[in-house]
Amino acid sequence: MPNVSTRRVVITGMGAVSALGVGADALWQGLSEGRSGIAPLRHPDADRLRVKVVAAQVPASYDPTANIDERVLPQLDRTASFALHAAQEAIAQSGLVFDESIGARTATIIGTGVGGEHSHDDQSRRLYGENAVRVHPLSIVRVMANASASQISLAHGLRGPTFVVSSACASANHAISQAAQMIRFGLADVALTGGTDACMSYSVLRAWEAMRVMADDTCRPFSINRRGLVLGEGAGIFVLESLEHAQSRGANILAELGGSGMTADATDIVMPSATGAAAAMTQALAEAGLNPADVDYVNAHGTGTQANDSTETRAIRLAFGADADRLVVSSTKSMHGHAMGASGALELVAVVNAIRYGIVPPTANFDQADPACDLDIVPNVAREMPVRAALSNSFAFGGLNAVLAIKRAP
Amino acid sequence: MNDSTQQQVFEIIAKQAKIDVTTITPSSTLKDLGIESLEAIELIFDIEEHFDITFPDQQGANFDSDTAQSLVDAVQTALDGKAAGEGSK
Repeated sequence: MPNVSTRRVVITGMGAVSALGVGADALWQGLSEGRSGIAPLRHPDADRLRVKVVAAQVPASYDPTANIDERVLPQLDRTASFALHAAQEAIAQSGLVFDESIGARTATIIGTGVGGEHSHDDQSRRLYGENAVRVHPLSIVRVMANASASQISLAHGLRGPTFVVSSACASANHAISQAAQMIRFGLADVALTGGTDACMSYSVLRAWEAMRVMADDTCRPFSINRRGLVLGEGAGIFVLESLEHAQSRGANILAELGGSGMTADATDIVMPSATGAAAAMTQALAEAGLNPADVDYVNAHGTGTQANDSTETRAIRLAFGADADRLVVSSTKSMHGHAMGASGALELVAVVNAIRYGIVPPTANFDQADPACDLDIVPNVAREMPVRAALSNSFAFGGLNAVLAIKRAP
Repeated sequence: MNDSTQQQVFEIIAKQAKIDVTTITPSSTLKDLGIESLEAIELIFDIEEHFDITFPDQQGANFDSDTAQSLVDAVQTALDGKAAGEGSK
C-alpha cells in the first residue's frame, strides 16, 4: 500500500434492528446469551414454498411507524424503515447534534444488497397478478436502492457524500470501509454508515429456494451436518468520526475502526475462494497495523453452507498461519440469520461489544464437528476473554470480499 | 418409457454441458461431464421444467457424485408419483 498520512477513525454510536429485537442492546443481549432469532417463516405465502423454511425475521412487534415523521412514512419500504430506526439509535448514542457545519461534513454511506424489495414485489403482484390499473405513485422512491441513504440524510440534515453501496452479502462491510476512507482521507469528519436489507418477499424466497442453499432446520455454521443458510433481515447503522473530531467534543469512543480489506476472487460467480478471502483479511490487518498475533477474535462470514464454512476455515488458516489455532472464531449468523446487505453491520455490533465487554458471542446451533472446519468456533456458549482486536469477515456472491479490522478505543 | 426418459434426460444434460449426447453413459457423474455447482442447479431446473415435475429439495444436492442414471431414476420416481395422482405439488 502507498504510504499516505491518514486520520484515525473511531466508532461513537451504533444502532440495530434484527431478529433479536429493536436496538443494538437487544441484539447484543441475544448474541451474548447464545439465543437464536431463527423461527418458522412468518409469511402469507409460506405454504406455497416447496421446502419448510425457517427465517430470522425482525419480530412482529416491530413498529415501522415509531418515531418517524408521518409525512415520510408513505415513502418508506421496510428496508429504509429499518435503516432510519437504526440510524436514530446510533446518532442518539453518539450524542452528536447535526448543525449546519457538522451536517455539511457528514457522509451517509449505506450498504444494501437488494433495496426496496417488498415494495417492488407488492406492486408487481398487483400489476401482473391482480391486473391492477394503477401502481402506487411512490413506488419509485420506495424501491430505489439509494432510498435508505437518502432518508437518513433527509431526516438528519446530512449533506456530505451520500450514496448506497451494493455488493450482495458484503454490502455493509463495503459501505463501512468506504465511509471510513472518506474520513481517513479528509472528505468528511463524520459518517453514518452500515447496512440494511428486508428482502423476504415471496419471489425472493422462491429464488433462494431454487438455488437449493436454504437450510430447512436452522443455521449450523461449521457443523458437519449444516444444511445451508437461513435468511435474515434488519439493519445496523454506525456513527464513525475522525479520532480528533470525537476527542474534541469529548465523545464516548466505543472502538477504533483500524482498517479494512477488499478483494475480488475473480474465479466463480458463486463458489468462494480461500485465497481471495485470505487476501482481504491480510489487507485489513495491514491497514490496521496489526499482526496476526495481535488479533483474538474473528467474526466469520459463517453462512452455514457447505462451501462457505470449509473455504473460510482454509482462508483463516492462510491469513493467520499458526495463530489460527489460538484465535477464536464464531458465526453470529447462527442467531441473527443471514441479513444480506445488513449482515456485516449486525456482525460489527457483535465485534465492537466483544472488544468492549470481553465476551465473544458463540456459534449457536452447533451440533457435530467438521474436520474441514477445525478452528475454535466457540460452540453454543459465549466465552469471557479479553479481545484486543478482531476481524469481521463478509464474502459475497460474485466473489466479493470485505473485511473490517476493529481495535480497542484509543 | 424408461428408455425415452433416459434419452430426454441425457439430451438435457448434453445441452447444459455442451457435449455430444453419445458421450454420456449412465455412470457418468456430473463432475465427469464438467457440470459445476451452479450449472447443476440450472440442469435440475431444466429437467423439472421439461417434465413438469418437482424434485424433493435435497435431491440432486450432491453434484460431485450424482450420476446421469441417478437423475433419470429421480425423474422416473417423480413421474410415477405424478401418474399416481400425487402431483408435483
